[in-house]
Amino acid sequence: MNEEHLYIVCYDIRDPRRWRRVFRKLCGYGEWLQLSVFQCRLNRVRRAELSAALDSLIHHDADHVIILDLGPADKVSPKISSLGKPVEPIQRKPIVI
Amino acid sequence: MDEPPRHSAVADSSTSEPILVPARIVNEFVYCPRLAYLEWVQQEWADSSDTVEGRHAHRRIEQARGDLPPPLAVSDEEKIHARSVTLSSQRLGLIATIDLIEGEGGMVTPVDYKRGKRPHVAQGAYDPERVQLCAQALLLEEHGYTCTEGVIYYAGSRERVRVQFDDALRELTRNAVAGLRALAESGQIPPPLEDSPKCPRCSLVGICLPDEVNLLRGSNAEVRPLAVAHDHALPLYIQSHNAKVRKNGELLEIYEEDETVHTVRLGDLSQVVLMGNVSLTAPTLHELMARGIPVSWHSYGGWFLGHTIGTGHKNVELRTAQYRASFDPATCLRLAKGFVSAKIRNQRTLLRRNWKRADDPEGVLNLFESDLRRALAAESLESLLGAEGQAAARYFANFSAMLRQEDRAGWHFDFQKRNRRPPTDPVNALLSFAYTLLVRTWTVTLSSVGFDPYRGFYHQPRYGRPALALDMMEPFRPLLADSSVIQAINNGEVRGSDFIRRAGAVSLTNEGRKSFIAAFERRLGQEVTHPVFGYRVSYRRLLELQARLFARYLLGEIPEYPNFTTR
Repeated sequence: MNEEHLYIVCYDIRDPRRWRRVFRKLCGYGEWLQLSVFQCRLNRVRRAELSAALDSLIHHDADHVIILDLGPADKVSPKISSLGKPVEPIQRKPIVI
Repeated sequence: MDEPPRHSAVADSSTSEPILVPARIVNEFVYCPRLAYLEWVQQEWADSSDTVEGRHAHRRIEQARGDLPPPLAVSDEEKIHARSVTLSSQRLGLIATIDLIEGEGGMVTPVDYKRGKRPHVAQGAYDPERVQLCAQALLLEEHGYTCTEGVIYYAGSRERVRVQFDDALRELTRNAVAGLRALAESGQIPPPLEDSPKCPRCSLVGICLPDEVNLLRGSNAEVRPLAVAHDHALPLYIQSHNAKVRKNGELLEIYEEDETVHTVRLGDLSQVVLMGNVSLTAPTLHELMARGIPVSWHSYGGWFLGHTIGTGHKNVELRTAQYRASFDPATCLRLAKGFVSAKIRNQRTLLRRNWKRADDPEGVLNLFESDLRRALAAESLESLLGAEGQAAARYFANFSAMLRQEDRAGWHFDFQKRNRRPPTDPVNALLSFAYTLLVRTWTVTLSSVGFDPYRGFYHQPRYGRPALALDMMEPFRPLLADSSVIQAINNGEVRGSDFIRRAGAVSLTNEGRKSFIAAFERRLGQEVTHPVFGYRVSYRRLLELQARLFARYLLGEIPEYPNFTTR
């Protein structure tokens, strides 16, 4: 019901300051995959928070953000072809340092 | 002007004026009286995707803009357009922040913004929203404006719905305000809705526990798994020597000697556990407190020193009920018997499940029945302690039957009897550390639910001892702590090299502690079928569920606290 989904977030931001802000905001929600691409693992609340946060950062007439839902994070194994480095979907586990 | 009504329970003692009812809460009251009570009287709150989106939809409206001129000063042609205006009235006992007021001359229209789409119902909007708008209109009229209709703007479908303030709606609104006041004064939380379609999308469903409470009050309706949402947030443990933690935007950076060794997303954190010499910067601590993420502090050896939380939980009613019950010896004894008997049952179950010795465990297992009978018949906390001790001695005498005899390296975990302060063998060191982790987990859970973890029922308060956490964890010692120890040993996750021996005392090395924490947290993440409600739930979430049920018991909503036992 409130399970986590895996998302790919891509963005085109026209202004370097806003780009920086969007980048820093996304760091709080997922892992940086490539230039302007993040992968995030979010439940419904976090998903809504992310939309709200990005919506208030970007300029709607200039910038563009796409949020792709890849399905339930624990059940789906996305078919990703990666040349070069491997892509690991985000796992959730406690961090012990 | 009429004399303002006096309300004892909802009066501010400094002024003896009635506390004003927010129109938003009147809306909740019409929707579900229990929700209004939880939010307003007990100050409970939880976010759902709906509430987050709602806040976002409101972001522009909430900036106060425009002017609301006094009614007599308005010329006939002057247009009014005022955003986010707060009005109150002692006579009505109401306060409201009106999203937008539009009007011309003395005639005004309140406009309320709603996140979703327009519902297709005869009256254009559901009663809670209509009543909230009408409450705003009553306030405007109280301030001298004329107000005959209002508007609800649905942001989802960008539609305006007109609401006429007819006599029926005004009557409904006045009754709702009076009803909410009477409810707050009564100090009695209304029962949950029965099998209501409203519950699944309610953000407070995990606090309210509608189906669970109804079942324990004797309802036959099936329990929907509403409260078992997965926790997306997980703990962060830092035990690395000389590590420092700082905040960088949405991230926590852990660094050693000016080099960042790890980054953690703040939004993914449930708690921060620091062992030994780890420091946090003040901005980090501020951010953690603002987000309600507790920080617990342990000595290097794992001893629980305390924890830092923000301003704490606002549910005073719950703490009052906890203290009141703790002063009653009969209640203490009844609860203590429940904790101890559940613990003995779970110890027996753990032995039965993990028995590895060649001989038949039946004889040993049957002896637990007599301990259980003795515990249930106990007439004082002292005799209960005796029964518990006897069962514990029996359990630990057979504990080694659950351990793998020898690992590949020829290391053998020897366990004769339980000892502590300091533990003298590796198994005892692991057990002590596991209990520390469990006490911390329970202390954090209990504080986050609104309890005072230091006032208990079985464990009488003693300086610096989280007595309630110790009470609640009794049944979970075998299920979570002991079983993590058994798993860690039998899977070879901790080895002989993970321990240091110093002057007869045995303690874990850094590496050993790290692998054991991983085993313990993995155990917390495992799912178990709830014996009463029938759904599957992770242990991590189960602890919170049990804490909330305990709160429902103390507040008099359910007749008995259902202790958790497995089969």
